[in-house]
Amino acid sequence: TPIYDKKATTTSQLKISALNQYRGSCTGRTEIYMLCDKVQKDDIEIIFRRGSWKANGEFAQTDVHRQIAIVFKTPPYQDQDINEEVKVNMILRRISDQMESEPVTFTYLPHNRDPYDVKRK
Amino acid sequence: NPIYDSKSPNASNLKISRMDKTCGSVLGGDEIFLLCDKVQKDDIEIRFYEEDEDGCWEAFGDFSPTDVHKQYAIVFKTPAYHSTEIERPVTVFLQLRRKKAGDSSDPKQFTYIPQVQDKEEVLRKKQK
Repeated sequence: TPIYDKKATTTSQLKISALNQYRGSCTGRTEIYMLCDKVQKDDIEIIFRRGSWKANGEFAQTDVHRQIAIVFKTPPYQDQDINEEVKVNMILRRISDQMESEPVTFTYLPHNRDPYDVKRK
Repeated sequence: NPIYDSKSPNASNLKISRMDKTCGSVLGGDEIFLLCDKVQKDDIEIRFYEEDEDGCWEAFGDFSPTDVHKQYAIVFKTPAYHSTEIERPVTVFLQLRRKKAGDSSDPKQFTYIPQVQDKEEVLRKKQK
């Protein structure tokens, strides 16, 4: 087993502690506050994943607060025409060594339930 | 002027960097994620206040030491405003304040939104 220096942000384990919301529109652009264990602002990404689909949360280095929080925007889901909620995995990933956190579930919500039922015709 | 040791959390300046919400219900209870400069989990409070000619009101955000994340973020619930009967939004201030030293951060604004009332209820009140 590898020996980790728990205090070194370059090798420490990644962990998502809390999000201010766990649901958002499938169109993306939902602003999320994530509390996490120590990350380096220039060596971290937020990945959304389901099956073969993958997209990144959007943030600048200035959105990483004191290594323990990230304010970011959700990416749009691959399908904008979902009629039901879709659950995807969200993970923190260190770019340099590709180390990943445990996943947290994020739920995409339908954008526009077709009020006139046009699409079924 | 006092000389602060900027590396000691007791003496450094308090600062609110960002909040995920700046408005909420007049009834309180809204969860807010607040990002801040270094605080100590057992020596910090979030003070909501309003000062006008009639006097001043204060109330405190609700959180426990475990809601303080790594000294740089606090998840708390808003207190209720002193009157839940407001008809228009009311803007107050909030600040971080150290319990022991009593020093505080610059204030940020927070807006209390009236309860949604149905039309009948409003009419009933007007008739009184």
